[in-house]
Amino acid sequence: MPIWSPLSVTRSLHPRCSERIVLIRSLLLLCGALCSHPILAAPLKVALALGEERGAYLAFEAALRDALESRDDVVVLPARADKQAELIVAIGAKAADDHSGSAIPVLHVMVSRAGLEKSTRKSLQGASGIYLDQPLARRFSLLRAALPGTRSVGVLISGETPELATTRQLASASGFSLHIQSVPTPDRLAGSLAALLAESDVLLVLPDAEIYRSDTIRNILLETYRQQVPMIGLSQNYVRAGALCAVYSTPSQIANQAARVVAQFARTRKLPDYQYPQEFEVAVNTQVARSLGLAIKSAERLRAEIGERP
Amino acid sequence: MQFNLTGKGQGRLITLNRDSFRILLSTLVLTPFFATAQADDGLDSEQAFFLELPVVLTASRLKQPLDESPSAMTVIDAEMIRASGFRKLSDLFRLVPGMYVGSQKGHSAFVSYHGTTDNYARRMQVLVDGRSVYLPPFSSVTWDNIPVLLENIERIEVVRGPSAASHGANSTLGVINIITREPGILAPDQVMVAQGGNGVSDLSAMFGLSSSLLDQRLTIAYRADHGYDWSLINDGNRTRMLSWRGNYHPNANDSFDIQLGYSEATRGEGVVGRATSPFRDTQSGYDYQQLTWTRALESAAELRVNYQHTYWRYDDIQTHIPERFNTDRHDIEVQHSSQWHPDNRLVWGAGIRSEKVDSPLMFVVPAPALTQKRVFAHDELRIGDAAVVNAGTMWEDDAMGHSNASPRLSLNYHFLPNQTLRFGTSLAYRSAATVEEYGNTGLIADHPVWAQGGVLPEKMHSREIGYMGLFPDIGLTIDTRIYADHLSKLIFVDPVIINSAVYNSFKNMYQLDFRGWESTLKYRWNEFGSLTFNYARQQASCTSDGLPTNLWHPNIKAAYNDLLSGCPKIVPVNSGSLLLDHRLSAGLLLSAGYYFQDEVRVLDAQYTQSPMHRVDMKITRAFGKRDEVGGGEVSLVVQNLFRDTHTEYSSIPQQGRPTLDRRAYLVATFRY
Repeated sequence: MPIWSPLSVTRSLHPRCSERIVLIRSLLLLCGALCSHPILAAPLKVALALGEERGAYLAFEAALRDALESRDDVVVLPARADKQAELIVAIGAKAADDHSGSAIPVLHVMVSRAGLEKSTRKSLQGASGIYLDQPLARRFSLLRAALPGTRSVGVLISGETPELATTRQLASASGFSLHIQSVPTPDRLAGSLAALLAESDVLLVLPDAEIYRSDTIRNILLETYRQQVPMIGLSQNYVRAGALCAVYSTPSQIANQAARVVAQFARTRKLPDYQYPQEFEVAVNTQVARSLGLAIKSAERLRAEIGERP
Repeated sequence: MQFNLTGKGQGRLITLNRDSFRILLSTLVLTPFFATAQADDGLDSEQAFFLELPVVLTASRLKQPLDESPSAMTVIDAEMIRASGFRKLSDLFRLVPGMYVGSQKGHSAFVSYHGTTDNYARRMQVLVDGRSVYLPPFSSVTWDNIPVLLENIERIEVVRGPSAASHGANSTLGVINIITREPGILAPDQVMVAQGGNGVSDLSAMFGLSSSLLDQRLTIAYRADHGYDWSLINDGNRTRMLSWRGNYHPNANDSFDIQLGYSEATRGEGVVGRATSPFRDTQSGYDYQQLTWTRALESAAELRVNYQHTYWRYDDIQTHIPERFNTDRHDIEVQHSSQWHPDNRLVWGAGIRSEKVDSPLMFVVPAPALTQKRVFAHDELRIGDAAVVNAGTMWEDDAMGHSNASPRLSLNYHFLPNQTLRFGTSLAYRSAATVEEYGNTGLIADHPVWAQGGVLPEKMHSREIGYMGLFPDIGLTIDTRIYADHLSKLIFVDPVIINSAVYNSFKNMYQLDFRGWESTLKYRWNEFGSLTFNYARQQASCTSDGLPTNLWHPNIKAAYNDLLSGCPKIVPVNSGSLLLDHRLSAGLLLSAGYYFQDEVRVLDAQYTQSPMHRVDMKITRAFGKRDEVGGGEVSLVVQNLFRDTHTEYSSIPQQGRPTLDRRAYLVATFRY
């Protein structure tokens, strides 16, 4: 194995990591020709904790593993070696539950903001996360770009959620009148939705596990279509089911962001604050748009309009 | 629970109990499905993002916007149905430009686009949720028997023109496509009662039940009235119906729509002083079963398999020559649709239909069971943002020795945003009715029939130019078109003489040209009021397309020439409707309909039907919230408010005409 020169290390590293290059250079100087290969610092031991072995979680795990394995400052531990880890990446709510109260710092991913805030997970020291939710500002940007003629936005909630204040702010900043309909019990969904749709140009789905469920979505979508009110969904699945459009992040986009957080932790041993996904996509259901008589822009065009790729 | 509907018009005993029905629904119907129903509970919050959601708005469920439809289309939605105040399904088609609605009795209505009809409007396809209710042996639609409640209708799409490529065989003059509301939690349970003049007595109830995998709805109804205000005929009628619809969606990609229905009708028949037609009751029964499996495939493609069975029987036995009919139909169809390119959607499929009709009177020699086959394809191609081309065809084998291709081509050109021109041409056929090909009564019947066979399908060729303008800023929609339609090989009665007895046979004898223009104007001035105006101006001319077998006979020659010369009357020159819908205050709604029609001659009538016009009015007092538990309304409907002349056609050569005089009824609806 050849002796690595500082120059070749520099070339192989990402330009952002200039601070680290300084560190590596000094280490190399110390080590000098005594070392046959560079043991720079002990690499960060990361455990990927998978709560459930299901589609999106597995895709995320594979993408994050890929991103981390090319790094020399991070070692991904084999399964069930969490105890030796210096950082746990908890994938999904079940993994978050499994590692609540953990003494080891935890990075929560693939968990909704509400899911993190509902539990005590967030208050734990040494924990952070990347929300699954898109920032509301981004969702409003999509709404403005996709349906420029919108005047009133309807929202269904089962109870008070922290997002409501932001929703109110953004709606008024966009010049929309916001109609909030509360669904106190599931059997009141029918009347609440009918009343809401009657006064709304668009139904904005806020994450709410009490309202939007696989067993209610059929009825909700049929009713929105009956009243010719488009729905702004939460995911690609929503769009496939019949929502007009949605902004979402793929598991691999979130994995890229998680890899950056892990790298930062490897460097600083500190987790950044909770954050929203940075990279995202837009999905549009053109068949629904046409049937509703809406001239909607393409997904690519909407993606470009609501923000540059990072 | 007591559930007893006795249809004598007076003694009805109905005790409905909501809980009993729920128990009935959940125990009788598909109980095993519930076992897994709640398994998916306890969702984590991120499930909102990863939820495997069923594909709800599937391609076949989405309607084409009017300005991209390949044919002229009128949509009658639930709001229009409510505003019209009509209580009979057939009456709704008075809201379609160019549509003739008739009946020579207070029941047995028939509906035909471009007129050109006799007692059995046999040139239009009628579908309920994709199930054809256009039935042998007469190729007619028994409107009174269809177990569809007006309150259950989501919308009706009426295609004005041939549309075999999209709607299958016998979509000749046009298509009526009735789409009922799907079961689901969002339709509250409802009870409706109507009582009024002339024996109007209706009752219906709908019950829904939903679980995570299965949505279902049960509807029961009873409908009765005493018929027209004309004592010369016996035309009282009462119908009982029961239907169940369930949607079972076990996973994100599969959905099973199951429909079962049953109806039975008692209808009065008979003419005063006519020994061959004494006052009596006839009975008919109708049932259907339908299963549609829809599977969502990758990239918005969809596979759909539909099986349906319809059985209809009719008994007229309290007379000197008893008549009985039994019709049995099975139909299976497979359809695949795909968006294989962002600008190109393709639908294709194939179907097979088997029909058997028995009637000891009409088919002394039994008519064969017919197995018809069809293959169809329809492509929608977008060219830029401004143009949509629809091209399609259906090939069919009618099992009577004929196979035909029915192509259609149209271009919708959006020359400005919301402004569309449509150019279209299409072809469709009507296969001979079983009676027209195989009818044979022997001499026993009052009007003996002996079809000599060999009739060719009628052929329709339509050409049109349409304009559709949307003016959303002022709430106005204009839909207008001109057309030139050519119907050839029209099948008509051809008297033949066999062994010195006269029988009615059938033969291709006429060709007809229809020209006209139609307009629909919808104006919605605010969220409280709207106005729909339909107008049609029509012209028809007939020429010979075959001669009667016995042209030498002076009476036959006279009858043949009579239609040639009287042809312009087979369509009304002017006809139309006006529907006003206005919400006066939160709980008070007023709607009014005006219907008019010039003189018209129904093909089998002795006289032309005189011009008619009438005004209907409906006032509704609503309470509670609409569509919500505890909501409801009480309405007063007055038909023919000003006692205008509304005479119907009649084939009875006696003084007087069936008329619809002013009649009023009260309707109370309660949702709970």
